[in-house]
Amino acid sequence: MLATRIDKRYKNWMIAGFAILLAGGGFVWYIFNEKFTDTDKVKPAYTVNAVEFISEFKNDLAQTNKKYAEKVIVVNGIISAVEAADTTVNIKMIDTTGNAYIIFAFQQQHLSEAKAMKVGDKVAIKGSCSGGAYSEILETTFISFKRCAVNK
Amino acid sequence: MKKTILSIALVLATGLIFAQKKTTTSATVNFDATTSLDKLPHAENKTVIASLDTKTGKLAFEVVIKNFAFANPRIQEHFNGAGWMDSEQFPLATFKGSINNLSSIKFTKDGTYSAEVKGDLTIHGVTKPVETKATITVNSSSTTATADFTIKLEDYGVNGPAVGAGKVSKEPQITVTAVF
Repeated sequence: MLATRIDKRYKNWMIAGFAILLAGGGFVWYIFNEKFTDTDKVKPAYTVNAVEFISEFKNDLAQTNKKYAEKVIVVNGIISAVEAADTTVNIKMIDTTGNAYIIFAFQQQHLSEAKAMKVGDKVAIKGSCSGGAYSEILETTFISFKRCAVNK
Repeated sequence: MKKTILSIALVLATGLIFAQKKTTTSATVNFDATTSLDKLPHAENKTVIASLDTKTGKLAFEVVIKNFAFANPRIQEHFNGAGWMDSEQFPLATFKGSINNLSSIKFTKDGTYSAEVKGDLTIHGVTKPVETKATITVNSSSTTATADFTIKLEDYGVNGPAVGAGKVSKEPQITVTAVF
């Protein structure tokens, strides 16, 4: 009778231990295989106009970085440059009143969208804002985006 | 009047074509800190600012740390966190240096040249002198500079727990490509 009770308790502990191991393993597997969601499917935190967006960064870089950095944002504007970047291209929107600019690097599955763009195109680009900084090389403010896609 | 305008335009155009300081805002930096234990610490930054002065050999780069794009969200978060690059406090990595063997590189003649680059690399707020070999390829439409080198993370005060645990290489491979 006692032996049966101990066996049952042992069995329950074994099942609990196995479940914990399985859950832990599943969690580790999830972490290692997790990937960024396709930007196309991410709801933007803000929708902005390129010229006003640049102006906001120029006026107060620190505060504007706090507001926008690491947020998914849709930027409406006109393409000023399509620049070769290794085997792909980046899209730029440049402030016509100065040299400040926004640069968009596209997500792997959306590279063909960037390659199809032309200077002068009016577009809406959605991407993860990496924030703005001042370039000593170019002596201007710039804002970088990663994992971009055309906003549909 | 027409002749004057044409002459000014010609001078300006010539100046642009043969400008000595070339710049790009789309240089790329690949960061590979993968180990046998972890294949995830690998990222690319495609919006690096770079300049090359073909007369003086001066070379400079500015890299926004937050614009390194990782495939895995958690690794990207760790990379930017306080134990790693602390990108809130140190948003940029920079290089300021020059080509030592400038006379052996003909920027006006198509070809592939080996360059010896020396300068100061600033990462995580720490500046260290570095020297590396680079390849410069000149053709009629562009000049491309590429370099492969490693950095010691501890030299730059980057020593998070993942580095100690062997999940992140202590000496990541850095590959730089700039098309001017």
